[in-house]
Amino acid sequence: MIILAKSKTLCARSAAALVIHRVTQGQSLNTAFVDINKRLDESQRSLFQQLSYGVIRWYPTLEFIGKQLLSKPLKTKDGDVFALLLMGIYQLRSLRIPDHAALSETVNACKLLNKQWASGLINACLRNYQRQQDALEKSVTEQLVSNFAHPAWLIEKYQSDWPDHWRQILEANNQQPPMMLRVNRREYSQTDYLALLATANIPAYAIENCPQGILLEQACDVFSLPGFVDGAVSVQDGAAQQVVDLLDLQSGLRILDACAAPGGKTCHILERFPTNQMTALDISDERLKQVDENLSRLHLSATCLAADACDTQNWWNGEQFDRILIDAPCSGSGVIRRHPDIKLLRKPEDIQQLAQQQQDLLDNLWPLLKPDGLLVYTTCSAFKQENELQIEAFLLRQPDAMEHVPAMAPARRAGFGYQLLPGDNDLDGFYYACLRHR
Amino acid sequence: MALLNILHFPDPRLRQKALPIKKVDDDIRQLAHDMLETMYDAPGIGLAATQVNEQKRLIVIDVSEEKDSPLFLINPELLVTEGERDFEEGCLSVPEAYEMVTRADKIRVRALNLQGETFEMEADGILATCIQHEIDHLEGKLFVDYLSNLKRQRIKKRLEKHQKQKL
Ligand SMILES: C[S@@+](CC[C@H](N)C(=O)[O-])C[C@H]1O[C@@H](n2cnc3c(N)ncnc32)[C@H](O)[C@@H]1O
Ligand SMILES: [Zn+2]
Repeated sequence: MIILAKSKTLCARSAAALVIHRVTQGQSLNTAFVDINKRLDESQRSLFQQLSYGVIRWYPTLEFIGKQLLSKPLKTKDGDVFALLLMGIYQLRSLRIPDHAALSETVNACKLLNKQWASGLINACLRNYQRQQDALEKSVTEQLVSNFAHPAWLIEKYQSDWPDHWRQILEANNQQPPMMLRVNRREYSQTDYLALLATANIPAYAIENCPQGILLEQACDVFSLPGFVDGAVSVQDGAAQQVVDLLDLQSGLRILDACAAPGGKTCHILERFPTNQMTALDISDERLKQVDENLSRLHLSATCLAADACDTQNWWNGEQFDRILIDAPCSGSGVIRRHPDIKLLRKPEDIQQLAQQQQDLLDNLWPLLKPDGLLVYTTCSAFKQENELQIEAFLLRQPDAMEHVPAMAPARRAGFGYQLLPGDNDLDGFYYACLRHR
Repeated sequence: MALLNILHFPDPRLRQKALPIKKVDDDIRQLAHDMLETMYDAPGIGLAATQVNEQKRLIVIDVSEEKDSPLFLINPELLVTEGERDFEEGCLSVPEAYEMVTRADKIRVRALNLQGETFEMEADGILATCIQHEIDHLEGKLFVDYLSNLKRQRIKKRLEKHQKQKL
């Protein structure tokens, strides 16, 4: 049951507190965000987004400060109050909202959460933060977790894989991600679309080494992009746009995109050569619908199948492919700037399990490749175990596979394949390997 | 813990009659706590297992301002009802509809707690209303059933339209 007084509409801050609380309880940031966003007034949405993403991005640091301000930890069911406290600290240290407004609005949000009792507590803690700001901020810099806003295990993993780059990676992970577009070459050239954006007063630039890539100065709603619904452009990071070149495409090929959803790369490949016979697989029914949506928006077609790619008995008709793309499920450790909830949701034991899935995909799909065919393996991970070590082990198991050297290297050379690290060229972290069937 | 999905009127699953719980084990306790979190998150003051698609006679309630007095009732039975009271009710399964419903003002219930022990309690006011509302759910009954046909149809139409928009 619910009574009217308990279902007040939310403000940006109370709504963000609910989102943050849900993420700490294991829900993905995107799911929680979309769900709560529906309950908000239009005018509150931009601050709501800034607060939800900002607090999750800086969670380890804010938690470190927040815990010092509380004399005893809050109960689990008051996770929303804790979220509100962290949000208050976040506004005071990082946003350009005047301190008194940040303070009073955050305290007020307690009411909308039905936690009036907490307003005194939040007020006292935030005032304490202001009073002790220098000492607290000094203590933040003294520990890696709080200084770099990452859980200890992630920091250690980056350090051991990238002893010379881990700082760059951690810092890049904390940046707000830029919004990047891929122009549909069947509709517009990069230059023509840049001109269209200019007339629409959307400041944008061409991305270097990325013939269809455009960087927006500021993120915007996709529906405000000229021609979006008719397939003029798609949202895709420049790092992902480099994959299509590695596939050495021409028309008339049989192609398998084994992990296709939401269809970014499937569509990019078909924009190049729409007559290719494309099979797009994904294990998730739900996510596969997004592939359909993207294909139809871009007026392209492919055979979409919901299946576990490893279970070839079930979905494969026995006819081999000229090209296979495995854009494997991974830790996402290269794209934390886009998915800051990875910091809270990913657990160290996940990595081994993901590596096993990647290995299964490689082993089960390799026999589906024609002799002289090309398999491209990619992840948005920065961990060697999912990337170069995965490929090294695969090459040892598969004597008829050999590394293929593409015409242009997409990133820094790794032991095997190529690795883009977060912070390189302001792109997402990404791994690429090309394997040829002898 | 986990947040559970709440079914929305006119979902036919809300019309099923819930089955008695034979044994109060860890699964039931887990469900009860997940339901409680779901209810706090909504935020609501009562939730029946039927609403989260579990056909079990289990309800969770917390009418306190501080949200620190959860009440779990397993296999609840109304023993005594007394008086009448009108209250504007809403339901997590019927979003954005609030209507006056007349129910007993004072009640006595028997139920099992999370340890599987039988207890009896008396309730009045909002707690009495809420317990009756939730026990109704276990019988497949909704507060809109107390309204006129016309009002119920209007709510149903609006929610069906909402659901279509979501798809
Ligand atoms: C990194 S995402 C793919 C992104 C996509 N290639 C794009 O460019 O838009 C990985 C996808 O792999 C899918 N997946 C995971 N395991 C799979 C399996 N065994 N078979 C098929 N798909 C799988 C996931 O559902 C997820 O959608
Ligand atoms: Zn109800």
